[in-house]
Amino acid sequence: MTPLPATGTEIPIRQYAPTALDLFKFSASAWLLHRIHYDTPFTVEHDGHPGLLIHGPLQGVYLVQTAETWLGDTGRIASVSYRHLAPAYLGDSLEVGGTVVGSDDDGIDLDLWARKTDGAITTTGKARFTRQ
Amino acid sequence: MGVITDEARSWADRDYPSYDFVVTATDIAKFAHATGETNPIHFERDAAISAGYDDVVAPTLFPYVVRMHASALVPADQLEPDGSPTSDVPPLPTRRAMAGETTIEFGERVLAGDVVTVRKRLADMYEKDGRSGPLVFVEMEFTFTNQRGALVARENFTRIYR
Repeated sequence: MTPLPATGTEIPIRQYAPTALDLFKFSASAWLLHRIHYDTPFTVEHDGHPGLLIHGPLQGVYLVQTAETWLGDTGRIASVSYRHLAPAYLGDSLEVGGTVVGSDDDGIDLDLWARKTDGAITTTGKARFTRQ
Repeated sequence: MGVITDEARSWADRDYPSYDFVVTATDIAKFAHATGETNPIHFERDAAISAGYDDVVAPTLFPYVVRMHASALVPADQLEPDGSPTSDVPPLPTRRAMAGETTIEFGERVLAGDVVTVRKRLADMYEKDGRSGPLVFVEMEFTFTNQRGALVARENFTRIYR
């Protein structure tokens, strides 16, 4: 059995810079029709945002993907929670990383985050992975 | 001064119909490509079988796709001007919506060929004062099961209206 990483271990940071095409593909694949992810005039004039929003759930995917890619087949996700603290807009580059914050016989607990290149956190989360 | 009216409260207090999503390998491939997955278990049946699965495997957060279809795959007259499904929008003066917080527990993985049933319940609705006026929090609970009745995922999701 491959051991899971120890408490305190930092997850290697992954970079995400979604394009308009990436935002559209995510909306299309989920049948997410909310215009703030593809209709710039509506998003600016109606909702008062500076541009298209990077979906909260897409950032949730980034958090899960960063942890899963790092752990590979050694662990399987049991739960995840995440919360959006600030909007991320088309054109923003996101760094996603985290830390192992706990460990027991069955698995590990992770803190996860997505931040803009200026350091502002957009999404923060927690996940539990169980040993495989 | 509250913005949650009796009308909004009675809107919240109802049963939502369950929704069955027949999961195809194409649905899985679309979501996997949209999220930049590269593991062949999401695209190729042989790769999934080699990895010990019966068919192509959906990415972890695929239940999100199921619940979006459940609320948004409706006729055009059941959508709001912003594209949101009318059934998800409480009768409130605060209409601009954002995703808030979510917590998901995972059970069995979703494979191509599964039929995933999602059940939705409105768990709570409350308001807080935000910097630019009142914020209304709508908490929903989703339960996802497969054709064997096994739990696929359970999600508590909060949407924020401002």
